[in-house]
Amino acid sequence: MFLVWLAELIVFALVVAGILSERPAALAATGAALVAAALLLRLAPGLRRRLAEAFAAERGAALAGGAALALALPFALRASPYWTFVAALALLYVTIGQGLNLQIGSAGLINLAGAAFAGLGGYTVGLLTVSAGWPAWAAVLAAPWVAVVVGTLLFVPILKTRGHYLALVTIAFVFIFNILMNNLEFTGGPQGIKNIPTLRLLGYAFTAKPVVFGVELPAHANFYYAALLTAAVATAVLRRLHDGWLGLVLNTLRDDEIAARCAGVSVTRGKLLAFCIGNFFIGLGGALYAVMVGFVSPPDFDFGYSLIMLSVIIIGGVDSIPGVVLGACLLLPLPERFRFLHEYRLLLYGLVIMFMLLYRPQGLWPVGIRRYR
Amino acid sequence: MRLLEVQGLGVRFGGLVALDAVDVAVGEGETLGVIGPNGSGKTTLFNALTGLYAPAAGRIRFGEHDLVGLETHRIARLGIARTFQASRLCLGLSVFDNILIGMHARRRSGLLDAVVRRGRLRAEMREAVERAAHLLALFSRELPARGFERVGQLPQIDRRRVEICRALASRPRLLLLDEPSAGMNPEETAELMRDLAVVREEMPGLSMIVIEHDMFVIEGVSQRVVALNYGRKIAEGPFAAVAAHAEVREAYLGRESARA
Repeated sequence: MFLVWLAELIVFALVVAGILSERPAALAATGAALVAAALLLRLAPGLRRRLAEAFAAERGAALAGGAALALALPFALRASPYWTFVAALALLYVTIGQGLNLQIGSAGLINLAGAAFAGLGGYTVGLLTVSAGWPAWAAVLAAPWVAVVVGTLLFVPILKTRGHYLALVTIAFVFIFNILMNNLEFTGGPQGIKNIPTLRLLGYAFTAKPVVFGVELPAHANFYYAALLTAAVATAVLRRLHDGWLGLVLNTLRDDEIAARCAGVSVTRGKLLAFCIGNFFIGLGGALYAVMVGFVSPPDFDFGYSLIMLSVIIIGGVDSIPGVVLGACLLLPLPERFRFLHEYRLLLYGLVIMFMLLYRPQGLWPVGIRRYR
Repeated sequence: MRLLEVQGLGVRFGGLVALDAVDVAVGEGETLGVIGPNGSGKTTLFNALTGLYAPAAGRIRFGEHDLVGLETHRIARLGIARTFQASRLCLGLSVFDNILIGMHARRRSGLLDAVVRRGRLRAEMREAVERAAHLLALFSRELPARGFERVGQLPQIDRRRVEICRALASRPRLLLLDEPSAGMNPEETAELMRDLAVVREEMPGLSMIVIEHDMFVIEGVSQRVVALNYGRKIAEGPFAAVAAHAEVREAYLGRESARA
């Protein structure tokens, strides 16, 4: 058990050090430690095997340790509201990525309209709160359903097209969504919707700085914990669906539609379920994003963000539930850490996708075999 | 008692007539062999039976159901399972997963059980894996232990067995085997014959239609044989009679040899 926790603690310390080290020397030291750890794992198969065995044997302890460290992260980052925000954003991408992974990874529905479905969630929150006067929490709960309903309207072309053609249809949808948001009067045109009220639960506003155990955290820590809870729920739900009948049905549909039909699988039902459940979580991520940053505008949901979502899945491992978590937590903070990369963010993501598809198409954490335990 | 009764079945692709007024019937527990040269419409018959192709003419009765116009997955759920000439397994999925998909239509637990009431789904999945292992054990003693390996790691003969297990997993009343011996050497074909005999023995009520080029297999497994040529039925009866039929010999060997 302690081996598991020690390993998790080392990873946590390296991540925090990597984020917070300001001076070049400190950063270089952290980088060297990361490389050394990676090399140690690579070159010492005995250690690697022991670690793998320990994590397999103590799943409960590993999960509890990971949860404790995830809860502790805002304390480590409390000096930097900005990094607390980035961490919350990465967790929103975990939720979005899990939804999208059900579509792209499990069912092979290449949905490149992730940004549009997140945008539907975000804009719904904006309209319901600012124009209709709903409280933010009610709008956040309602918004994913809008993504689901609009997705269902798109379902006929989704069902009739496959592979590249499906990808093209969904790309078209992102652009239609953007053009509409830019030009429609009631969505605020290019300005978008400003002054979205923050979440307020039982009188507690999420803009207040929380004080936990006598430690004052940045206000974004509220959203960090909300995003952490959402990401944990999304990951648990999608993992359970993936390891049950639905995951099996979608995988079979993806690999061989004719064989699936001849085994009694309804293509319509399978793809519709994957599309709706996936869009629900993508829309939920977009809705939380809207209350977190307080405004939505067309460039927040353009095609580039669809590509970011796609690269999260590809780097983590297509169809892999833990892969999505890893992918989001690696890919989102990286360009924020190296500001010079920020301008070239899409270029970086494009290169990552190309590199992964060429040299490690199964991703960093490849999907395992269902064990039905 | 006729389980399957096909009358005047016609399938057309534009101007090409792939099947023309074909009558086929299979009784409960009977095995029907289907022979014919390449392009004679054997696989087209299977594709029409399973709803992959829409017939242009004719009726297909299966038990008390009329199959024409039904979607493929509905026909499968009524109790028709099949294998394919070129294997259609999901090579990246495990052996068990490939078989379990056949049981999915009879599942008892829904999405909610997967997410919240986990016990029910777990028990059902354990049972399903056990049944899959039992089906595999019919054919090979080693296969059940390889259930959690990817199908892509199995040799050809074992893949064919997994495909037959997937078809049997749905507890079908009619099993369609499309050239089970395709791509096999003589030893493997002999093993396959043994496998089919096991199926026959274990599931006496199961009806089968077997498409084969290997006359040895056809003779061994089928009680009755139908011969197709250019989409028409040219002969029907016991193997010996069909094999001796002049039109069949001509279709396979050409006119010269038929005379000789």
